[in-house]
Amino acid sequence: MKKVVLVDDDVDFCEATKLLLESKDFEVVLAYDGREGLEKIRDEQPDLVILDVMMPEMNGYDVCVVLKADPALKEIPTILLTAVDREMFQTHYTQHMGLMTEADDYIAKPVESTELVKRVEELLDKD
Amino acid sequence: MLVTPSINILVVENDITIMQKCRELLLDEGHRVRTAESVEEALDIIQKQPGDVDIMLLSLELPGWGGITLIETLQKARSEILIMTMSANCGEEAIEAMHAGAYDCIRKSFTTDRFWTKMNRAIEAFRLRHQLDILTQQRQAALSRVHQDGQTLLSVLNSFTDALLVTDWQTNVVLLNDTASRLFNLNEEKAIGRPVSVLLESDELLSFFIRAMKSDGDLAKLMAGEEPVIKTRDKTVRVHVDPVKNKAGAVIGAVALFHDVTRVDAMDHLRADFLSMVSHELKSPLSSLLMQISVILDGLAGELSPKQTDMLGKAKEKTKGMITLVNDILDYRRLKEGKSIQKIEALNLAEVLQHTVELMRLSADEKGIELTPEIAEELPSFSGDRGGVEAIFVNLISNAIKYTPKGGKVKVSLNKEGKGIRLMVVDTGIGISEEDIEQIFEKFYRIKTEQTRRISGSGLGLSIVKGIVEAHGGAVHVESEVGNGTTFIVSLPGKG
Repeated sequence: MKKVVLVDDDVDFCEATKLLLESKDFEVVLAYDGREGLEKIRDEQPDLVILDVMMPEMNGYDVCVVLKADPALKEIPTILLTAVDREMFQTHYTQHMGLMTEADDYIAKPVESTELVKRVEELLDKD
Repeated sequence: MLVTPSINILVVENDITIMQKCRELLLDEGHRVRTAESVEEALDIIQKQPGDVDIMLLSLELPGWGGITLIETLQKARSEILIMTMSANCGEEAIEAMHAGAYDCIRKSFTTDRFWTKMNRAIEAFRLRHQLDILTQQRQAALSRVHQDGQTLLSVLNSFTDALLVTDWQTNVVLLNDTASRLFNLNEEKAIGRPVSVLLESDELLSFFIRAMKSDGDLAKLMAGEEPVIKTRDKTVRVHVDPVKNKAGAVIGAVALFHDVTRVDAMDHLRADFLSMVSHELKSPLSSLLMQISVILDGLAGELSPKQTDMLGKAKEKTKGMITLVNDILDYRRLKEGKSIQKIEALNLAEVLQHTVELMRLSADEKGIELTPEIAEELPSFSGDRGGVEAIFVNLISNAIKYTPKGGKVKVSLNKEGKGIRLMVVDTGIGISEEDIEQIFEKFYRIKTEQTRRISGSGLGLSIVKGIVEAHGGAVHVESEVGNGTTFIVSLPGKG
């Protein structure tokens, strides 16, 4: 069973998404801020990471930068999930920060459940 | 697209036919070519402008002072020119030339293919050698030299009220001022040489250093004024990290300034960007709502009765309507502030459209609507704002899907139109009456009929489309017949 670490400060979103991913046979570990997320990722060594961007303690971009600079973790496919303004996300982040954080995929929140599952499965199939 | 820089090539050959042939072949590929008919002439060119020759194509059958002597002379002078020789049959003399330092030999009876096989290898070798040189320089530029560069500089740095910390390109500390030692309670001797993340116990800080060193000029500008606040070792500091570059422009380290804001009210640090705050505060809960409803609808939280499924389905549609509304208001506000174009860049419209169509495919499928993109093979090049162009596509396609009954068709096409590009979105939907058509681009205008009552929307989508299209110097118009569908036509100017 593939393991996913989902990091998002919105508890409701986390729980609903956990149900969704579990129904597709994923094991889901939740974390509610960036720092906790990084700890869980280091402990769990998951097959995939989903990171919200705006979080307390440490934001998703920064978590991703650290992940991708760590030889032990950088191969884990990482999806950035963000509710920041659509246009800002596209122009500002995917082009500048995005390239630099080297995340493997970006999803703008809100996301349809089918779309999220599709993107997760696509990233895992690449291996 | 990445443009490969051209290479400066000097052809040294006294046989005019061969010289011309080489010259034409090289010029055709966009390289800069100079010619010399003798070794003396070649040396003259190289000595006058040593940096102006990258590769030399040298005949080994020159009269007088031979080609081999020239190779040896250049080698002695530690010249960086890559030498490719030419001779009738690349025999003994070619081997001797290679011993002297030449890269390879081309037979003078070459075919175009043969010529390029060898030349391309030489060009590639030159480029690799060149890159290697840059890398070596970069590594050798030891930042620690700063330390020896006199006490004056250090006294200046120590007078800063802000803490200053410099690392090498591997984020090991090479320099810190007194304020830094005091603020973080560090012993300078012990701090030097240790990784900054370990020293200051902050992964977050590490991310700023990595980011600063990977950044280019654009990013530095983009980040200007964005100074993150972090907590480390019971201090709250505002951090600013910049890359340190050597004279050649290569990044050799990073310099960080820390301003102690431990006592400043934490609320100050919230992002002041109103748009992203509104967006985040509204979209986060909506996002949870959408996910929760979807999960319940999928039966993942227990069986549902048909009535519950029906009502939740409607709740889901309303939620999605709210999301569109938030997006539209943000788009519209941006338009009003003249910010609909944030960054002009070369865009591959075909690719942007493909991507948008894929995003919309789900909602088309849900309504059983056939959504087909038709993109012409060769489109004029276009420059514009990616987010804006995507907003045009998203709005027009989602409208077409919304106002087309189940089982209908939506065709999206991109074609050449003179020097520009024409986007057409054709649907088989309910159509727009003549009275309404004049007002659909007005803000908050929504057509109210029996058929549109259940369709949600903000009435902003089309005024956004019009605003963005016009900001790109284009025009949008619409043709429609009630009951027979609608066609939106957007004309965008090509580049240049």
